[in-house]
Amino acid sequence: MEQAQQAKTTAVKGTDTAREVRALVKNIYRSAHEAKAEGKKVAYMMVASQYDEILRAMDIVPLPTENYAGLCAAKRDMDRFLLKAEADGYSQVLCSYARIGLGFDSLRKELGHIPEGSPDGGMPVPDMMLGSSAVCDPRFKWYQATSRYLEVPTYGIDVVAPPPQDDLNAVRDYYIQYQRDQLKGLIGFLEAQTGRKMDPDRLWECIRLGDKAWQLWYDIDRLRVAIPCPMPSQDHFSIMVAGHYYTGTQIAVDFYQKLYDEVKYKVDHKIGVIPDEKYRILYGGGLPPWHTLWIFNYFESFGAVFVIENVYRGYDPVEVPSFVKDPVDFLAWRAFLRFTRYHEKARSRSGNPIVEKLLDMIADYRIDGVVFHACRSCRATTIGQTHIKSELGKYSDLPMMQLVSDMVDLRDYSEAQWKAQIGAFMEALEGRSRG
Amino acid sequence: MTAPNSIEELYRERGSRARALHDAGEKVIGYFCCFVPDEILTAFGFVPFRIQGSQSEPIDEADALLEPMACPFARSCFNLALKGRYDFLDGFVAPHSCDTIERMYHIWHSNKPSPFNHLINVPHMLGPSSDSFFRKELEYFISRLEEFTGKKLDPGRLQDAIRIYNRRRFLLRELYGLRRESPPRVSGTEITKVLVAGMGIPAAEHIELIEAMIGEVKKRPAPAPDGLPRIFLWGNEIDDVAFVSLVEECGAHVVMDDLCTGSRFFWQDVSETGDPVEALAKRYLCTHCPRSLKPQAGDRKEDLENRFGYIREFIREWKADGAIFYIVRYCDTCELEGPDLKEYLTDLKLPVLMIEDDYSTSTIGQLRTRIQAFLEMIL
Repeated sequence: MEQAQQAKTTAVKGTDTAREVRALVKNIYRSAHEAKAEGKKVAYMMVASQYDEILRAMDIVPLPTENYAGLCAAKRDMDRFLLKAEADGYSQVLCSYARIGLGFDSLRKELGHIPEGSPDGGMPVPDMMLGSSAVCDPRFKWYQATSRYLEVPTYGIDVVAPPPQDDLNAVRDYYIQYQRDQLKGLIGFLEAQTGRKMDPDRLWECIRLGDKAWQLWYDIDRLRVAIPCPMPSQDHFSIMVAGHYYTGTQIAVDFYQKLYDEVKYKVDHKIGVIPDEKYRILYGGGLPPWHTLWIFNYFESFGAVFVIENVYRGYDPVEVPSFVKDPVDFLAWRAFLRFTRYHEKARSRSGNPIVEKLLDMIADYRIDGVVFHACRSCRATTIGQTHIKSELGKYSDLPMMQLVSDMVDLRDYSEAQWKAQIGAFMEALEGRSRG
Repeated sequence: MTAPNSIEELYRERGSRARALHDAGEKVIGYFCCFVPDEILTAFGFVPFRIQGSQSEPIDEADALLEPMACPFARSCFNLALKGRYDFLDGFVAPHSCDTIERMYHIWHSNKPSPFNHLINVPHMLGPSSDSFFRKELEYFISRLEEFTGKKLDPGRLQDAIRIYNRRRFLLRELYGLRRESPPRVSGTEITKVLVAGMGIPAAEHIELIEAMIGEVKKRPAPAPDGLPRIFLWGNEIDDVAFVSLVEECGAHVVMDDLCTGSRFFWQDVSETGDPVEALAKRYLCTHCPRSLKPQAGDRKEDLENRFGYIREFIREWKADGAIFYIVRYCDTCELEGPDLKEYLTDLKLPVLMIEDDYSTSTIGQLRTRIQAFLEMIL
């Protein structure tokens, strides 16, 4: 039994539409190979960098390297890449997404071809690499290091957000100005790489598609307040592929429309993820354990369903002022509004936008307990979890738990320890429901 | 008291002078890293205090609030704060230098708030729009200080502060220059103490100490040739002599560095002409820290030269025989930069030893064998 569970990585999904995501993932890498064959430009890129629609508008095929690391983990084919990066001198505590990417590129260079049996056919050599400072430090530094293995034009942009204590009226203009300058710099770089000017009308169209998809995604998540839960977090970690890797395309819009219809049907007919939903869990933060996503089903065996999550989420819709007429200005404004969405609320209570967002989720989704995942090699999503737990404790008496491993490096994971922790957590939930 | 004795005392009793100044009614502002301009704080009449950790004290209280996979230097600083060691601070300023410092700012602010708290956003990208943005961030920082103090910034005092800190930079470069000799008359251990001692006192007092130290060193007789290798140190935070002393005890001279606590924070002057805030923005943003990204320049070889050319000059002028990297664990940008710099220095035929450590004197002894083996290889 234990061995059978170890071999399994993926989770049983709650929705039929989520099961279609695998094809979307395969298509990311197939499209990149096809694009290379057709002479189109392919770019290594980082999700949530606020430049997705620009790439689509310029016919640049995105190749998300972080996603590839997650895919390798889900396929339990990460060790050869991690070990290669470590043999090349990268620390075992460095972001494991980056280690997989560096290890893959190193092996591909050494072999002269894509490592045999790489998940989904592996990644082709890109024409360029586009880093960004959105979310964390390795995301702008990783591609600079990758130039050790492949010499292609590389560009990085800043994605900035003011701290919650700042007076937004005082900083808004220059934050947006800087974001605009950074995006325009990127467009200049892409125009030089492609030899074509960016068409503002196409960019507007991609923005329209992007916003439409994200609105649908938001609406789906709002449907998830229903009891019983119509779509669990393990589905979220699949369906996010459309929103993050197909941003600005009709594919994403169609996918979320279909998913919306299915989730709506389940809500209308009170069809839950499991027959007897006893506890509603919030995935409070931290990258998902791609190597062990079945753990969500393990929780379900105790009647606990993860109903909402705070990572790899779509952004809440924001209202960009109508006087913004330029698409790049729009992207800069939208980024600022997205990142400051909870600032005012934070200033009036906890001081922390994440705490405010989680408290909203706890209330809206009628949460019974909160689980965080601390990843040993991800500082960006892990540092602060303990603090957030403690802050949440000031406003809520829910049981909370922090599981520790890594997003892809299995060496940091202990199934026995997790099961013991989960058992204790379930007892706390049960005690609270009785009490 | 002689300069070395004063420095030794300030080094050992960290924070003692700043605490005394606070007790006497002065306002002390604590800050992290190399991106907060001392000049602005000084112009407002504050005593700038660069927050340090303690490699010799275990991190015991911070782990309850800050994850152990965060940079141990940052955790150590926060640990000291929780123990009340920084209660004399009248303000706390953090730059968004890296993920850990930025996230820790919020945790620190929430658990140990000071009368004044501020986070300065620092662009990771380098270029004209980054300079403009950082200038605006500094202007906003100034406006927050004006609000806190109830007085406007005096441009004359800012210019004076720039001149004072440039004077300190000049003297520190002169002190570093004394290690060009072979063998040097001043050790890496002594210089580390001079730097750390100066992090918690007013610049004018530090300047007096450096001047006295330079005078004292110049009077020392030239040591006899010893044939020991000359080492260049690269990494992040070394605010304790334990590691530098270990390298020197193993039979080497630490002659030059590129560290957050070393040349990185003082090497370049601030321009004394033109707009002072713009000059500060340009100067502080070009600090050579792996957390900043220079635009790609040419092919791999040209790009490495563009990124690390200044280190080539350090190596040449200080005649380094080998380089030791001391990376405080969990520093992602250093962990990614290290292999690139190693490649660059190896191309220059310079032997490199890359060490990742826990910012703790209790583990430093384990490094002795590795350092000895490296030094033997150089010889």
